[in-house]
This record gives sequence, structure tokens and C-alpha cells, in this order.
Amino acid sequence: MRQAVVQQTWTEKLRAWLDAPQPIERLALARIVLPLVLLAFQSSRIAHADEWLSAAGFRVPDLGGDWRQPLYIPPVPIGLAWAIGVAMVVSGLCVAAGLFTRAAAAVFATLLAYVALADRLEAFTVSKLGPMLSLALCLTPSGARYSVDAWLRRRKHPGELLPTHVSGGVIRFFQVFLAAMYSGAGIAKLRGDWLGGDVLWSHLHDNYQTIVSWALGRAVPAWGWQGLQYLSLAFEVLAPLWFALRWTRPVAVVAALSMHALIGLMFGPVIWFALLMSTLLLACYMPERWLKKLFRSDRNPGRVP
Amino acid sequence: MAAGSSTAKPGKAGARPTDGRVVAQPWLSRRARTLVTVLAAAYALLVWLEGAGLKLADVILPLPLRFFVQEAELFPHAARDVIEWRAEAWRCDLGRFEELDVRPFFPIRRDDKENRFYRAMFFHYRQRRVLEALDAYLEREQNRLHPDQPIGGVMLLSLRIPIPPAGTPAPRYQRLPLSEYPQEVQRKYWYVTGSAEREQRCAERKSP
Repeated sequence: MRQAVVQQTWTEKLRAWLDAPQPIERLALARIVLPLVLLAFQSSRIAHADEWLSAAGFRVPDLGGDWRQPLYIPPVPIGLAWAIGVAMVVSGLCVAAGLFTRAAAAVFATLLAYVALADRLEAFTVSKLGPMLSLALCLTPSGARYSVDAWLRRRKHPGELLPTHVSGGVIRFFQVFLAAMYSGAGIAKLRGDWLGGDVLWSHLHDNYQTIVSWALGRAVPAWGWQGLQYLSLAFEVLAPLWFALRWTRPVAVVAALSMHALIGLMFGPVIWFALLMSTLLLACYMPERWLKKLFRSDRNPGRVP
Repeated sequence: MAAGSSTAKPGKAGARPTDGRVVAQPWLSRRARTLVTVLAAAYALLVWLEGAGLKLADVILPLPLRFFVQEAELFPHAARDVIEWRAEAWRCDLGRFEELDVRPFFPIRRDDKENRFYRAMFFHYRQRRVLEALDAYLEREQNRLHPDQPIGGVMLLSLRIPIPPAGTPAPRYQRLPLSEYPQEVQRKYWYVTGSAEREQRCAERKSP
């Protein structure tokens, strides 16, 4: 009996944590920026949609369940490949603008998942994250404010109250996901060469190299790269702790943003991953006062700006 | 939900609560939200487990779904060398192999590791079926775009460019022609079109 009471309290606490309303600006920030980052990442593929998705480009043949090919999807006609590219751009922009948000996010998530599976060669971490994040935007009231949808509703119902908060579930999901992603990545690095090898140094020399990584490669001594590796490990492996504790959280956010800034500047195309993760960090943890300022919502509480 | 807050259904007006909080109403039913919460937690857990080396997803998820949770294992190992993937083509008109710049045939991110030729070689350098498909594609594209320089087959190879010791000032990365790489850059050939096949293709190009 006593045990049952404890269990209920634990569940209630979890439920309260999950449901605690969050400023709607957090979700709006994610809804506006994430699709733009995803589109920017995909833009170099969309610009060559025929090579990407049709038989005009190289196709890996059906490998019959090989792990390198999660699903064999035959090439589509060239016209359809371009149509998919256009649909991706339109649906992504609609999500960012908050126009037909729910439907647009569903289409965007579906297309992102399709292209990730249709061409494994052009699928990276951002390609795998995109469908999940878009689905999260689809399943939540992400277009309830700071959106064309909200503006249209306000024209139709001028007296209605507009939301200031959302149920916390989606923001909690982003927060838990960030902690899981960092921690998992940190443990993978621990299992790899990050304790003893020159991992960071070794990745500075190929065609991901930027002017920044080249200059740092010449300026930073060997122990500096080892130090950065240890800092990354300490941050990533224990990320759930750093983000859970109120007093370490601001430092963790600054550390994560700095890490992503460095990654983005040093490893060319990885900038889109850095921007995606930074957007999630800011949506989850940016101080409420800054958020309100960003959206100017302190001037018009409960109204569409 | 905090005391004094209210839930606003989109499209419906409501009374302003005392603390000014209006919570957007979710469009999913309570049961659907519970299901989504469980699935979201499972997703985060599987992402973490993959990074931690506990491959539970390999057991419980089909490959197309597993693919979407395999994302936390980022750069765990040090590179031993810089790897470059290259091709040489059998020139029908010259009767010898010459370097073939494949970048025009793979225009997506043509100059970096996200190029599709690089990725195809990176994933499939030991899979003959894929290398044969690459051979056929390169031959088709070269002969379509440059009919004056027909080719009959290819050699697909990797270069292993040594990485200097940590802290050593190194020159800026640049892509060099194959002929300009020094002796210490190791070459490994993974695929060569058979000579009979090359001759047959060249003969087909000559015949009207």
C-alpha cells in the first residue's frame, strides 16, 4: 500500500513536469527556424533533384536488405524528382511561416523521410533528425501563434484569446532528446578513440577543412586539441546531469552552443547540423525574458504581433 | 496546468484567465498524446542506446526504422589517413588509362565528402555489384557528355594521404591531380573493368 502511494507520487511528478506549460515562443522559435535550417541543408540536393532521386543520376542497385541500404526505393521519373524538390521547399516554407501548419509539417516530415531512405548516399545525421523534428511540429499546436494561421484566425475571430503557452510535452521531448543525443554521442566517443587518440586533429585535414580549421590547425598546439577532446567528453557524457541541474544548466547551454559554433566553423557542411542543434538548444533553454523580447510578445500579451 | 490558466481552442474565443496564461489546446486526443509521449521517449532512449553501443534497435526495429535512430555515433574514431576516392578511365582513342574527373557527373556537393561518388565508394568499395553499377554509370555519362573522348571502362581507387603528427603546421587542403601525389601516398585499386569488356565497349562506340 505504502509502495503504491510512492509510485503514484513519482508518476504525478513526472506528469506535472511533462505538462507544465511552456511559453509558446519556444515552440514558435523551433517551428520558424528548424524547417529553414533543414531546407538550407537540403538545398544543395534539391538543386540537383534529378541526380538525387531519378535514374538521371547514379543509383545504388537493390542490395536486398544490406545494412548500408535501409530500404531500396526505385528511382522516380525526372519530373517527379523535381516535383518532390518543389514540394519540399513549399511545405518547409509553409511550416516556417505557419501556413496550414499541421498539414505542411506532415508533408514536410514525409518528404524528408522519403529522401533520407531513397538515397542513402545523401543521408546524414541532419537527414535522420529532420523527419522526427518535423513530426514533432506536426503533432503539436506549433502554428497556434506567430503564424499565418493565427493571423487568419484572428481576422475571422477578432475577439478571441490567443495562446501564450503550450503544454510542455514537446519542449520536454526536445530537452530529453538533446540530453540523450549528447550523452549517447559522448559514450560513443569514449568507446572510440577520444581518450587517447588525436581524433579532432585527424579530422582537420580533408575536404571538410575550412579556413578556420586550417588556421586553428596551425595555431593550436597538440595538447590544445587533446584538451578540447576532454572538454567535449566531459560535457557530452554527463550532459543529462548538466542540463538537469538548475545551476549548471546555463553553463551547459553556453558550452553546447560554443561547441556547435566551433564545429560549424571548422567542418564545412557540418554547419547545418550545428545550426539544427543550436536551434533546439535555444528553443529549449533561452531565458524567457529574451524569448519575449525576440518575439516582442511583452508588448502585446495574448495577441498576434 | 498552472492554477488560473485557461485553454484556448483555436478559432474559439475564451475568457482571459486571472494570470493571463492561455494554453494552446493540443489537437491530439488524450489517448493519442499518451501514445505519442511513449513513442517519443522510446525514440530518445533508442538514440541514446545506439550511441552507448547497446544495439537494442537492431533487435526490435526493422532496418528502415532503425536507420532513423542511428544518429548519435558521431566521429568516434581518429582518421588514420585522409582518404580520397578517385577514378581512372580507359580512353578508347588513346588505348590507355587516364584520370577521370568524376565531379561533373556527381554535381551534388561536388567538391567535398558529401559528394555521391565519394559516398558510394565509402559505403560500397567492397561490393562488386555497386562498383559495376558505378562503372556503367561513369561510362554512360562520360560518353554522353564527351563523345569525342570515349571511354570503355574504369579503375576505381582510393588514395591514403598521411596525416601529419598533431600540432605540426600543415599546408591547406587542396585536391590534386592523381599524377601530382607523391610516392608516399598509397594507392589501392578496388575495381577494374575487364579488358575484354573494355574492348567490346570501345568497339561498340566505333561501329555506327
